[in-house]
Order: sequence, then structure tokens, then C-alpha cells
Amino acid sequence: MSVPSHGTRRWPSRVYGEGDEPDARFSLANERTFLAWLRTAMALMAAGVGIETVNAATSSSQNPLVTWLALLLLAGGVLVSAASFTRWAATERALRTGRPLPAPRMGAVLGYGLAAVGVGIAVLLVIVGI
Amino acid sequence: MPDHHTGDERARAPVDPGLQIERTTLAWLRTGLSFAVGSLVLTRLIAHTRPLVALGCVLALLPVAVLVGVLAVRRYRADSALPQHRQPLADGALPAGVALLAVLVGAVGMVYTVLL
Repeated sequence: MSVPSHGTRRWPSRVYGEGDEPDARFSLANERTFLAWLRTAMALMAAGVGIETVNAATSSSQNPLVTWLALLLLAGGVLVSAASFTRWAATERALRTGRPLPAPRMGAVLGYGLAAVGVGIAVLLVIVGI
Repeated sequence: MPDHHTGDERARAPVDPGLQIERTTLAWLRTGLSFAVGSLVLTRLIAHTRPLVALGCVLALLPVAVLVGVLAVRRYRADSALPQHRQPLADGALPAGVALLAVLVGAVGMVYTVLL
């Protein structure tokens, strides 16, 4: 496979400093996976802002539990955003060096985390009626 | 990649078989659009009660958003100027910029949640 000539050095050098240029399709798929994670993060953050807005609009005194849940969702969104970039970099590096891809840890965290959030919302619905 | 095209077919073959670059560009557009809409809604919500805080949030988000836009246009130009069958120019700057923007949007969301 021919290595393309680049006029400028590519950043970060931790990713592009070693290995060979992978099949462009793999790099592009890695990029799309990164973007899909970012949209997931955006959905988490939108959920947080959404439930807090409803919380403020429907009751005269806001329920602090809902506010905490909103903050938890927003923190999850921030975490997923940051982790998605480091994962993109680790995957691109693995593609270049021919090593195995990094383990998908975010999926497990997000899956269990959302399950916990779902249980929390259910409890809130039953106990406080939100 | 094995090439099964015969001469005449190859002349009419798409530049981007599998439309990988096109799919990736569309993913960038979807993501960018969702962030644009999300941050607009968020700042509008904050401006409803705290106009000054909303202004501060816009001032924090705007430089990063402009940076991401500039990087995206630059990458699009570089990729579309590539001769056929060459690798697209990928770089970590645009992904890092968008991830930073996402983190900032989350921080603004937290500001909204705490202040509301």
C-alpha cells in the first residue's frame, strides 16, 4: 500500500508517529465510530437538560433528585465525549501498528450506567411522581 | 483491495467505492448539526433567565465552534482535491476539536442545571 505524501506533519504524533498507513476504509470507519459516540454523548447531555427543564416547568419547587439525575447524565455525556477521543486515538494507533484494537470499555459503562439511570427514573416516578 | 473492474468499467467506476468518504462526511454533518442545534437550544434556555450567563457561555463556545468549522472546511478541501485512489488526509485535530466542543457543551449544560 502506498503511503501518501503529506505536506504537513499530522497531529497527534502519539498516533501518527509510528506504524504504517492503514487501509483508508478502516480509518474512516474509526472516525465514524468516534462521531457516533459523540452523538451518544450529545443525547445523554440533551436528556439531562431536558429532564431539568421539565423539572423546573412542572413544579414550583424543583425536585433536587431530578437535578442530581440531570447532573449525572450531563457528567456522563462529558465523560463519553472525552473518552471517545482517546479511544479514537488508541484505535487509530492500533490500526497503524497492527496491534489488537482496544477493548470497548465505554459500551459496558454506558450500558450499566443507563440501566442504573433507568432504575433511578422508575423509582423517582413511583416515589415522588417526578 | 482486489480490483475486479475491466477497463471500460474502471473508467466509469466511482472515485470512492463503498462511498466511505461520503458516509464519513455525512456523519460529520449529522454530528455538527446536532451540536449546533443543541448549543443554540441550551443558550436560549439560559438566556431566558440569565442573559449575562448565556453571553458568557456563547463567548466560551464560539471560538471552539469556529475552530472546528475552519478545520472541517480545510479537511473537506484537502480531501476533495485528492487524486483518484489516494488516501484521504486524516488528522487528529478535528476530532480533538469536536470532542472539546462536546465537553464544553456538557459544562454549559451543567451551568444551566445548577443555576436554573
